[in-house]
Amino acid sequence: MFASLLGRLRSVVGASHVSTAPGDMSNYQYDGSADRALPQIVVLPASASEIAGVVAACNDARCPYVARGAGTGLSGGAIPEQGGVVISTARLNRILEIDVVNRLAVVEPGVVNAHISEAVKDQGLHFVPDPSSQAACTIGGNVAENAGGLHCLAYGVTAHHVLGCEVVTPQADIVWLGGKTQDAPGYDLLGVFIGSEGTLGIATKVVVKLTPLQQDRRTMLAAFPTVEQASQSVSDIIAAGILPAALEMMDQLTTQAVEEFVHAGFPTEAGAVLIVELEGLSGTLDEVAADVGDICLRNGGDIRRARDEDERHRIWLGRKSAFGAMGRLGSNYYVQDGVIPRTRLPEVVTEVVEIGRRYGLKIANVFHAGDGNLHPLIVFDDRIPGDYERVVAAGADILRACVRHGGSISGEHGIGMEKRDCMSLQYSRADLALMTRLKNVFNPGGLCNPAKIFPTSRRCGESARTHASGVLPPEVATATGPAF
Amino acid sequence: MRRNELRSLNLPIADELGKRAGTRPRVRPLDCAPYAVAGIVPKLVFSPRTLREASKTITTIAAEGASITIRGAGTKHLRPPHPYDVDVVLDSTRCSGVLEHTPADLTVTVAAGTRFAALQEALRASGQFFPSDPPFAADTTIGGMLSSRVAGALRQRYGAPRGNVLGMRVCLSDGSIAFTGARVVKSVAGYDIAKLFVGAWGTLGFIGHVTLKVAPIPREQLGIVASFARCETACDAALRLASSPLFPLATTLHDRASAHRIRALSGTEPGAHWTLIVRCGGTRAGAMRQADGVANVVKSSGSSNVDLLDADRLHFAWQDIEELAGGAMYPGSQYMCCTVASLPSQVSAVLSSLSVLFPDANCTSHPATGIVYAHLPVAGMDQSSSRTLASQLQPLLDLCERERYYLSYHAAPVGSDLRAPVSADAPILLMRRVKASLDPSGTFDPGRFMAGI
Repeated sequence: MFASLLGRLRSVVGASHVSTAPGDMSNYQYDGSADRALPQIVVLPASASEIAGVVAACNDARCPYVARGAGTGLSGGAIPEQGGVVISTARLNRILEIDVVNRLAVVEPGVVNAHISEAVKDQGLHFVPDPSSQAACTIGGNVAENAGGLHCLAYGVTAHHVLGCEVVTPQADIVWLGGKTQDAPGYDLLGVFIGSEGTLGIATKVVVKLTPLQQDRRTMLAAFPTVEQASQSVSDIIAAGILPAALEMMDQLTTQAVEEFVHAGFPTEAGAVLIVELEGLSGTLDEVAADVGDICLRNGGDIRRARDEDERHRIWLGRKSAFGAMGRLGSNYYVQDGVIPRTRLPEVVTEVVEIGRRYGLKIANVFHAGDGNLHPLIVFDDRIPGDYERVVAAGADILRACVRHGGSISGEHGIGMEKRDCMSLQYSRADLALMTRLKNVFNPGGLCNPAKIFPTSRRCGESARTHASGVLPPEVATATGPAF
Repeated sequence: MRRNELRSLNLPIADELGKRAGTRPRVRPLDCAPYAVAGIVPKLVFSPRTLREASKTITTIAAEGASITIRGAGTKHLRPPHPYDVDVVLDSTRCSGVLEHTPADLTVTVAAGTRFAALQEALRASGQFFPSDPPFAADTTIGGMLSSRVAGALRQRYGAPRGNVLGMRVCLSDGSIAFTGARVVKSVAGYDIAKLFVGAWGTLGFIGHVTLKVAPIPREQLGIVASFARCETACDAALRLASSPLFPLATTLHDRASAHRIRALSGTEPGAHWTLIVRCGGTRAGAMRQADGVANVVKSSGSSNVDLLDADRLHFAWQDIEELAGGAMYPGSQYMCCTVASLPSQVSAVLSSLSVLFPDANCTSHPATGIVYAHLPVAGMDQSSSRTLASQLQPLLDLCERERYYLSYHAAPVGSDLRAPVSADAPILLMRRVKASLDPSGTFDPGRFMAGI
């Protein structure tokens, strides 16, 4: 069976674009998460019809398959847990059309996120979603994960910036969901496809919205004695009707590590630091900036404005280096991704600190505070037996706290393999049954990216790491995630 | 799917159904008449007070093999295809009220039978609003607005309502109640199935509660009204604005007949062929700069007359403008209302084609998003005029198919026998499977979505 599948795949995409070499297989066994699993075959198709051919071949051979972009995902969405075929979109990397008048672009799924904005910046446009990995991650992955980013508070996530997708369905049909024009009649299949983590089909073309660049921006850094005061400022800013383009928070452990790492100029004695970025027409930001300043001062903060582009760059470099800086605190880190109503930030942060104490783990906190999206960074040493398992258990406790406060177990990293057993924290059996119904509409055979999103027999917080040794190889252990 | 129909509805049977459903139905034709769908009076009307009651009602009705038409305020009951028969209307308006609103979280959870206007009123106290301006704003319910996927011109700045739906609690035809999405502004946990219910016209299930993302009301709002002799130049100006860093809240374009219906404009330049209205908003300084920038763009695009509307006049104007999209101002007995969606750059061509095909049409457009609302005057319907209407619309269908515009009908006079237009590339097979999976008994308005779904 394997030989016949291999032969058919070679005839679909060409022998030079099919690999079974062990070295290649090991390159495709992981993403940015801690899990990994080896595929048997990797194919690199160059068109939608080739992908349809690959899917049809897999269906006939009853072989699981999973699409993969840059592999920067943080929840195991692109890991071939059940083996089978990895379909790389690396060769589908062309920007097919840029329509400045209608503010859209048609791109292939393997196009790197940042390359779109780069291609249209001279026209005064950009593609808004800016996940931390935007220099490497691809649009296909962004669509699969409904990626967010630092600026989703004001502008929304990927779902708000995609008009349509050409999709190869698990039945190997090529269909369009949505298109260039808004309001395609019928059920909003595009809406459910985006964020379905590659379980409902493979995007082969994506129509993205382009947004005009803002004329001016103001970046401010506020330092507070405590996380509570910084959180209160966030709530007050939103309640005052101000919607900054970005509103990011870091606790003291993070800023101290970052300062040692990149010297961004963060005040290391502060309990928390808030980055506020305002955007708008030139000459109109003073009013809001003054209001933000007043709110921060009222809450005991000390605020300063980035005087020039260089200072702004250093502030953002500091924020974006937060994950990498964890190397200063320990040999490994595990990034959690939960969401809470932002007004609950102080209570939940207290709980996170308590969880760290309970498990004897150091936890640094980075927040997309405007969205209530927490990224606790749990520092550990994977060489110590049992350390990773404690980290996973602590991470699950953090998610329990998020759900208890009315939040979500993932704001932007997805469920994938990493959090599938925590889905029942947030959803009832009936809720999950509805999701199963939808999955069966698209993917009744279950071969398209199997074993993702839906709970297995494990409990939330049980280590789901699937590799045999229980120890990560050094190249994964030192950087379980993209640059920030 | 051919369904059983509720045939012998004597009072004891209705009482029995009512007991099982936990809510007493309306049964007398006189009582059911106000709930008629395109002139067809339902046999029973249930008005559950809670989602749980709705679930019991749905289970009871589905067990009888009858069909259910979900209804909010009934503002869009003239949407084609019209039903041949209506078994049960499930009236959502008693499931209403704001359940939770935390201003600093920018979220609100409401029962879907809540009127849009009531929600806006409740949010206003905190300086917030749900950023949409749908037609029938005074009456429409949140469930109705979402099910019909109507979006006003504010979509230019805030996106369509679908993007601001965070979570939803729904009841399916087997009576199961499920939650989808989240109650926070950002979540990617599991499939976003709420999106399917937006625009499903109640054919997949009953929406009980909805969590929405709200927005701060801009501190200042101003309007720019610009007159144009030619449609192309007005559309060019709209495109230039949409691609500029000005970020206006909304842009609408009106032909002479539809501009005439905007009371706040009386006296601006009533003879203008085309009127472009741009809604600006933000901080005080921001709104002023925006309005200045917009005025410069429309002047340099060749506008013959430019007026500024202050916040009060803009508000007054918008009361009419929002009603011009989707038929709210046009009596369903006299007008056929439809939407043509195209690329923004094609709006001018769409309007020009419409004026050739239907010289008496009243047209309003949201040019930045490529949407044209056309209101075609038609006579009262009998069998022959119904056929005439279908043949009159054929050139429009042909045009949309040829140019790949999306056509949809909002309202047609009672007695017309129109099917929902289907674009050639629509993934109908998948849609059929969605319907079959979520509503396997075919309980919710079978055959009234599109392509027989």
